[in-house]
Amino acid sequence: MLCAILASIGLNAQTVKNFELKDIENSTRTFADLKGEKLTVIDFWATWCKPCNKAIPELNKIYESYKEKGVEIIGINCDGPRSVSKVAPLSKTLQIKYPVLIDINSDIKNELNLMAFPTLILVNPEGKIVWIHEGYVTGDSQIIIAEIEKHLN
Amino acid sequence: MRSTNKIILLVSFFLSLHAALKSQINGNNLLEYQFGELPGDSAAISTVYDRANLNYTYQNFKGGVTLEQFHSPIEKRNYTKLSQYLLQYNSEMLDVKIGNFYETIGRGLLLRSYEIPGAVLEDLSYRSRHYFHRDIAGFTTKFHHKNFSTKLIYGKPLNYVFPPSQSDSYRRPDIIEAIYSEYSFKKQTIGASVLRLTNSSKSAVYSMVTASGNLSPVISYYTEMAKNISNFGLADFSSQAPYALYVGINLSFNNLGISAEAKSYNNFLIGAGVNEPPALVKEHTYKVLNRSTHVLQPLNEKGYQIEVFYTFPDLSTLTLNNTIAINNFGKKFIFHEYFAEYDFVWRDMHDVKIFADYAEDPFKLEEQRISAGAYFEWKILQTSSLKTDYEFQTYNRLEKKVQNHVLSLGYTYKSKLVFNITSELSDDAFITNNKTKTWVGSTIKYKINPENSVQLFLGQRRGGSACNAGVCYEVLDFKGIELRLTSRF
Repeated sequence: MLCAILASIGLNAQTVKNFELKDIENSTRTFADLKGEKLTVIDFWATWCKPCNKAIPELNKIYESYKEKGVEIIGINCDGPRSVSKVAPLSKTLQIKYPVLIDINSDIKNELNLMAFPTLILVNPEGKIVWIHEGYVTGDSQIIIAEIEKHLN
Repeated sequence: MRSTNKIILLVSFFLSLHAALKSQINGNNLLEYQFGELPGDSAAISTVYDRANLNYTYQNFKGGVTLEQFHSPIEKRNYTKLSQYLLQYNSEMLDVKIGNFYETIGRGLLLRSYEIPGAVLEDLSYRSRHYFHRDIAGFTTKFHHKNFSTKLIYGKPLNYVFPPSQSDSYRRPDIIEAIYSEYSFKKQTIGASVLRLTNSSKSAVYSMVTASGNLSPVISYYTEMAKNISNFGLADFSSQAPYALYVGINLSFNNLGISAEAKSYNNFLIGAGVNEPPALVKEHTYKVLNRSTHVLQPLNEKGYQIEVFYTFPDLSTLTLNNTIAINNFGKKFIFHEYFAEYDFVWRDMHDVKIFADYAEDPFKLEEQRISAGAYFEWKILQTSSLKTDYEFQTYNRLEKKVQNHVLSLGYTYKSKLVFNITSELSDDAFITNNKTKTWVGSTIKYKINPENSVQLFLGQRRGGSACNAGVCYEVLDFKGIELRLTSRF
């Protein structure tokens, strides 16, 4: 019944509001500073999540291919107190080229009502979430690229 | 019935606002149906668990409610409850939350709350299924300006062992009042906190100081120290004094990363467990190792953890971990573990992961524990793959050799379809009465679209301890069918 009511009134896309988190260099960064001119890709990940780690080299490639086209990638790490100490050394050895922010309370993930790791969202210049993708398996990078291309055009 | 009225009122209120103001409504729903046998049940029963979360956002304001329900043939286990609500205001300098929220101070020495996404718990005593989270019911406010921030917290943390069918006097026995402030300068951060805990048996005050930052592009550190200051002097580190010390140092040299951490915790369980000091024990994703994870004893534990990561030019990665945890309860228990994992791509196509682990765990009576395994993901075409995984574990328990095996076969098509069949075998006398026992179960998950997915489990699932997102808990054995629907809107 609830779903029917919601469908009947029409739902607006979720919006990413400006947020402030520390990066792995202990500097405070905001979404407003980091977002892309045309599109922003936000990857919610954790060090203990194997599919998350598998996605990172592919996201690095996407970042290098699209950063000149107005697309930025932001990694938001959601490791809790138990494993957060591993975020900086692992990020550096994986040579993550885009900014990695630390959200020890998963506040941003909870705010956006996201439920899985990894979750990747595409955000347009107005801050609206235009695509959500949960999980990462072989072949997903092509799907991500296709969605970026679709929303760039 | 009273809860239902409240929900209808709240939903009507949100919808009216939505229509008037063109703001956002979003939410998610998790529905889980089980038909099967759990330990203690004489026959298979049907149960339904549902958790619906609805949020309304307008400019800087947000409101949300969560409805949890559990229904089974046994009336006393059932409930329908509005288990969470939240009113929130965020601005450039001020955040305010009233209702149920999650808040952690530092690395959790004084306070940690969390949500394990998608995890549903069932306790052997209460036998009601409920969502796995530890929130705080109360209010919090955070003021932040430039390099300074301070937050105030007042509330009652949830003891997640008790399901929503139980009264709040059991579920939320502690009251906390806390203040935490931090200041950042030149990539360094210093912070301090005071927390007062009150419950029916005592009142105590704890303080904490923390310092963290980057000393150079290759070295970063984090230190945190907390103490009971109401009943013990600042310099009292005797065996009775509650204190906790955590130090972590990270080093990064191109492809090499090192994380080194040390801990010393004494008598540091606050209230019914509102805090959770970092465990400094690796949380494995491998089944046999995850089940064997050493569980932190905050009443008395010292130790360290060192983890080394190395990424080769072909992007293969090597991870090494060494952990020692010492518990002294009159008798000394020394847990130590050595772990190695190598992750690589074979013939530019197939993902391979191999691991080996050696541990001694006197707390769990597991001597000379050896574990090993290999995970293969065979790529078929561009979008699908076959998975073959095998894990093996052996240890001595009370002079008897124990073996555990896990074999899994799977197929994945994009992220849309995942199929797995898993077989486990064990001769552990603690769970099988000296006979070899097997568990065979299969899971199929289909993502209907980005918002909806369906997952079906059929067969037997082995219970035991499990760790997820840094939190360890017990899972019950299950035999039957389980259907899970998750939706987001």
